Amino acid sequence: MSHTLDVQHLSKQFNQDLILSDLAFQLKRGEILSIVGPSGSGKTTLLRILAGLESPSQGSIHMYGKEITFQKANRRDISLVFQQPLLFPHMTVQENITYGAKLAGKKNNHKISELLKSTGLDRFKSYFPSEISGGQQQRVALARAMATEPEIILFDEPFSSLDPKLRQQIRYWVRDFLVNQSITGVFVTHDTEEAMIMGDRLALFHEGKFQQIDQAEVIHKHPANSFVADFLGGHLVIDEQNYVPLKECSLDPINEQEARSYNGVLQHITYQNGQAVGHIFLEDLDHKISLPLEKPISGEEVTLYIKESSIRTFGGSSL
Amino acid sequence: MKLFNNKSVYLLIPALLFLTLPLYGFFSAIFQSLSGGDRWTFEYYLDLLESTRFLSSIWFSIRTTLIATIVSLIIGVLITRSFYPYLEHHVPRLLVWLPMLFPHFVWGYMIILLLSETGLAAQLLVEAGVLQNSSAFPIWTRDPQGIGIIVTYVWKEVPFVILMLLPVYGSIKPGYYDLVKTLGGSKFRQFTAIEWPAIFPVLIETALIVFSFTISAYEVPALMGTTFPEMISVLSYEWFYGSGWEDRPMSFAAMVSLSLLILAFSAAGFSILQKKRWRAMRGRSI
Repeated sequence: MSHTLDVQHLSKQFNQDLILSDLAFQLKRGEILSIVGPSGSGKTTLLRILAGLESPSQGSIHMYGKEITFQKANRRDISLVFQQPLLFPHMTVQENITYGAKLAGKKNNHKISELLKSTGLDRFKSYFPSEISGGQQQRVALARAMATEPEIILFDEPFSSLDPKLRQQIRYWVRDFLVNQSITGVFVTHDTEEAMIMGDRLALFHEGKFQQIDQAEVIHKHPANSFVADFLGGHLVIDEQNYVPLKECSLDPINEQEARSYNGVLQHITYQNGQAVGHIFLEDLDHKISLPLEKPISGEEVTLYIKESSIRTFGGSSL
Repeated sequence: MKLFNNKSVYLLIPALLFLTLPLYGFFSAIFQSLSGGDRWTFEYYLDLLESTRFLSSIWFSIRTTLIATIVSLIIGVLITRSFYPYLEHHVPRLLVWLPMLFPHFVWGYMIILLLSETGLAAQLLVEAGVLQNSSAFPIWTRDPQGIGIIVTYVWKEVPFVILMLLPVYGSIKPGYYDLVKTLGGSKFRQFTAIEWPAIFPVLIETALIVFSFTISAYEVPALMGTTFPEMISVLSYEWFYGSGWEDRPMSFAAMVSLSLLILAFSAAGFSILQKKRWRAMRGRSI
């Protein structure tokens, strides 16, 4: 059976700037792809092209084998959840959710009331958007996209305006919904943790290209290049070819002949998941790392020790 | 003294001071229309209701004004939504607003020069061979249908409608159009879901302003109208400055009736905009 979404040689140029360069990927039905990359790298442009809001300069998009590259947005069975909730201010919560379903010809009162319940918005269904909080508004926007029951839902950093706790809850709710309904999803974010939670696969996007697409574990174990290793944050990038997993770096001298060391400055300490994390600037590499601290450290000057055998090559297959 | 603790009472004072003279005029008109010498009477109002001249006039006024108002609003909306990105620039905006700079009387005179049977349009059509002679040109000024009055007001009020709508169109987030597209909505849906709710409250307000002004203004119907039926303002003027004093209370009664009509329209418009949905649209606390 053909892929739900098949993207080939997709490029987009604005004036002289190449925003997307020869992108290609496929998604199976029900699969969720997280696209993660720095802000302003062109992720939103990619989503807008997939949604039909912009057309690509080159390349093709197929849905279940049928070409939709130049099909209008309102003819595609694809929904887009924007960064802003964009609720209709003159419609109540319930009317906002129903509106999308009505346009898609999929209005089902039972389903709408299920969505209201599962989003915890049942109590607010006759409220207007100006009467509910930002988090609730974003949940309404999510419910509105879901009520249209599209083949594919695209998410453009939809949780960026939510507080961390709410963000945590809503991530799992959205993921469960997509999995239960077998809806294919493309989830764009600049938060790697969120990308790993939401996506079956992770695509690291930088300079108009996917630097690597794979499961989070594979990418973590075998980063393709220095950008991937640096962006994920679990590795110390030594140069363009080599890196060391942070868990194999130590602030204590290593009792081994084949070892190297780098001088650094401990800039500050934060606490995450019950553990102290030292944020260290390595002067020799002009690079900053965050390393769990096993024991308290006195003073600002630190030395990082690495076994030569721990140094790996990008795209290699050690481990 | 709870009444004076309420700030809104103080906020009303400047408005009341400003309105002293018009309110005095209005109440004195009511007084005169109800005064039957040494007693109160509704005689003049009853006379009005029996006067064919008044009834034709008020019907002609409402009909002409409603047509002018609705056509102005429709053309204003069409121009604004088609050209608002251009209208944000200075030169096109000035061109659109140009008719607002001329007094209504001047604009009416211009319409006569343009559209009368011996006007520019008629002569051009004769020159072009479309018409045999200028008398074949339809009567569009000083006509019993009020076409000249309608054309003058439409031309004059469309820029005002655009002036009211431009900020509304400018404040619509472009993301909403993308949203409706991705939900499967056509261009028509984009209008009904995004633009209409945004412009509706402004259109109601603009309609009230244009309607009240058009139905009560004097100079354009005096210049462009016929002697029968005539707009209510022209009739009132004639009654007021007529040969005898006896018609004056009728003039006051006609004007008071007109004020009540405008008041009723305004109350209806206000009550629509006070609905929760439209208050929510404006982001007001509900």
